[in-house]
Amino acid sequence: MQPRHTPSQRHVFGQGQGRLYGLVAILIIPILVIAGRLVQLQVVHAKDYQARATAQQSRKFELPARRGEIYVSDTDGLYPVALNDRQKFLYTDPKLVLDTEKSARELSRVTQIDESKLRGQLNSDTSRYIELKQKIGPEEASAITKLKLPGIILKDRDYRYYPEGALFGHLLGYVNADTKGQYGVEEYFNDQLSGKSGQLKAVTDNQGVPIASQDNVLTEAQNGRGVVLTIDRYLQGVASKALKSAIDANKSPSGSIIIMDPSSGAIKAMVNYPDYDPNAYGAVKAENYSSFVNSAISNQFEPGSGFKAITMAIGLESGKIRADTTFNDTGSTTIGEYTIFNAEKKSFGQVDMSLVIKNSINTGMVFILRTMGGDPNKITKAGKELLYQGIGKFGFGKRTGVELAGEASGRVKDTRAADIDYANMTFGQGIATTSLQMVSAVAAIANGGTLVTPYVADKEVQADGSLKPIIHTPRAEKIISQTNAKEVAQMMIKVVEGGSGYLTRIPGYKIAGKTGTAQVPRADGKGYEDNKNIGSFVGFAPVENPKFVMLVRIDYPQTNTFAERSAVPAFAEVTKELFRYYQIPPTQ
Amino acid sequence: MRPTTLRMQRNQNLTRMETRVQAGPISVSFMLVVLVALLSLLYLNQVAKATSLNYRVATLETKRAELVAKKEQSRIDAARLKSIAEARQSQVAQAYVPVSNVSYSQR
Repeated sequence: MQPRHTPSQRHVFGQGQGRLYGLVAILIIPILVIAGRLVQLQVVHAKDYQARATAQQSRKFELPARRGEIYVSDTDGLYPVALNDRQKFLYTDPKLVLDTEKSARELSRVTQIDESKLRGQLNSDTSRYIELKQKIGPEEASAITKLKLPGIILKDRDYRYYPEGALFGHLLGYVNADTKGQYGVEEYFNDQLSGKSGQLKAVTDNQGVPIASQDNVLTEAQNGRGVVLTIDRYLQGVASKALKSAIDANKSPSGSIIIMDPSSGAIKAMVNYPDYDPNAYGAVKAENYSSFVNSAISNQFEPGSGFKAITMAIGLESGKIRADTTFNDTGSTTIGEYTIFNAEKKSFGQVDMSLVIKNSINTGMVFILRTMGGDPNKITKAGKELLYQGIGKFGFGKRTGVELAGEASGRVKDTRAADIDYANMTFGQGIATTSLQMVSAVAAIANGGTLVTPYVADKEVQADGSLKPIIHTPRAEKIISQTNAKEVAQMMIKVVEGGSGYLTRIPGYKIAGKTGTAQVPRADGKGYEDNKNIGSFVGFAPVENPKFVMLVRIDYPQTNTFAERSAVPAFAEVTKELFRYYQIPPTQ
Repeated sequence: MRPTTLRMQRNQNLTRMETRVQAGPISVSFMLVVLVALLSLLYLNQVAKATSLNYRVATLETKRAELVAKKEQSRIDAARLKSIAEARQSQVAQAYVPVSNVSYSQR
């Protein structure tokens, strides 16, 4: 048999095979290298690269929750006092801006923003997010869009709008640039009103615009729940008008009016001066920041003679004093090295307790303190203890619990304080209260002896628009007997009918009230300011079935020295309107 | 074929004639290409329809958003116009006369 290949042929074949192997190797080695690299990229470092790709191709978009709206009651239903106004705002990502000069020039022309300022912002390398302009209207937004400037971005944002402006400024507060509520209801109910932001984790195109994909993850935003307040819009307007008239008439720098339902504690109106427009809170200058404060709940003051009604109620409740208890007023009384005088150093001789209230006799109040302590000639620890406990029961020295941010607690000296301090406290000096505490305490006298918690939030607006009543856990605490409450009310009627509250007398109606002209402590704590006082009048009506309790406070009146001229006229003006509004017929 | 069937179809021709039409590999490939092309066209047509519908939905959604925005703006305008400050400045309010004493009918 002939061999298949000759040696020479075998040699040739061997050479060819070598070349073939070489060629195969040349082809296969790069393939292996590529395959190895692919394994490295797609298997070994897969997670890392996947994360990087996801970061490039997908973005997280925050879906802001809509803030709950705030309403008040009105004659024809609910009226919104805090709304969301969705408008556009303009921002830039300087890294995406291609032509700074052109962008600044064209944007300045459309938005009226200073061109050099814009140039600086567009050139910035410190931030990739710079807000350029807020609240951009539809026409301006359209003009900006037409410019098609890279890196200049328009976005929606909810701005808070308060249609009543300053009228509800202190009650509502405002929402700051970080969408956080500041002051008032906006701050107190911030969590409820803000809701919870949602998120869209979406695949985006090369412009960063989300595209529909099964991989997108959407977490819906939970919109905030609104609040319906107890405030009556009409009464708020009436109170505001009366307060401004009183402020002007007295050349006073500030003041407050509160109107409350004494049986429930629902606040119907609360106004202060100076006020501010929450729509333009940014326009308030630094030196006027105090105007953000709701002075009716945050500012403490010495209530003065208005407090005598409280001391009288405590005295009657102690059982040591009766309405017909008499004492001889000589016009002054001495406590240690101090002498306390009546206002204008008047003396009234033999008087009963109702005349003590009617004539606002300081020495009569000291007499009550001494009598409660068991010794008519000196102030005892027992007397101080009874007064201190009584004041505490009326809610002084602690916050009322009203749902408004920034409430002060007031200050009551404990029984370790000097006798003179306690003597002063009986007629409202040396004790710090808020206007709302005074209203709350007098409401207890008006409603027959129950201390109620003042409140402003009436209902909660659910996501579906339905209203859910807010269940208040009322501090409905019986603090004095109905008999004693009525006794004090009768004494307060005399203040209106023949005492310092005569200017609020309205024929046919029984109105109870008490004036207070309090001195103002000096900032250094040494005595009181000269020629400075706070005039207040707190009262309720109609006494038979009180519909409202109201306090008017006028700070540092310039034209009228006493509360009967500074605060009482405003009280009278609002009371007349309240009788008409509530359709309360005269009873006499 | 089962016997019963055979019995019933006794007089029929039981032999199957082989068809003369035969598709070669080119024909099969051609038909496959045509089939794929048809399916692709169908798919493209559906995608185009879906895109068109998506566009319409997007347009309607934009329109809806615009209307919602307008409604919101109207609410804001209504609230502003109903505000006490606006009401006091209105010509109607200027023409009002102060309330005189109210008389209540006796019960």
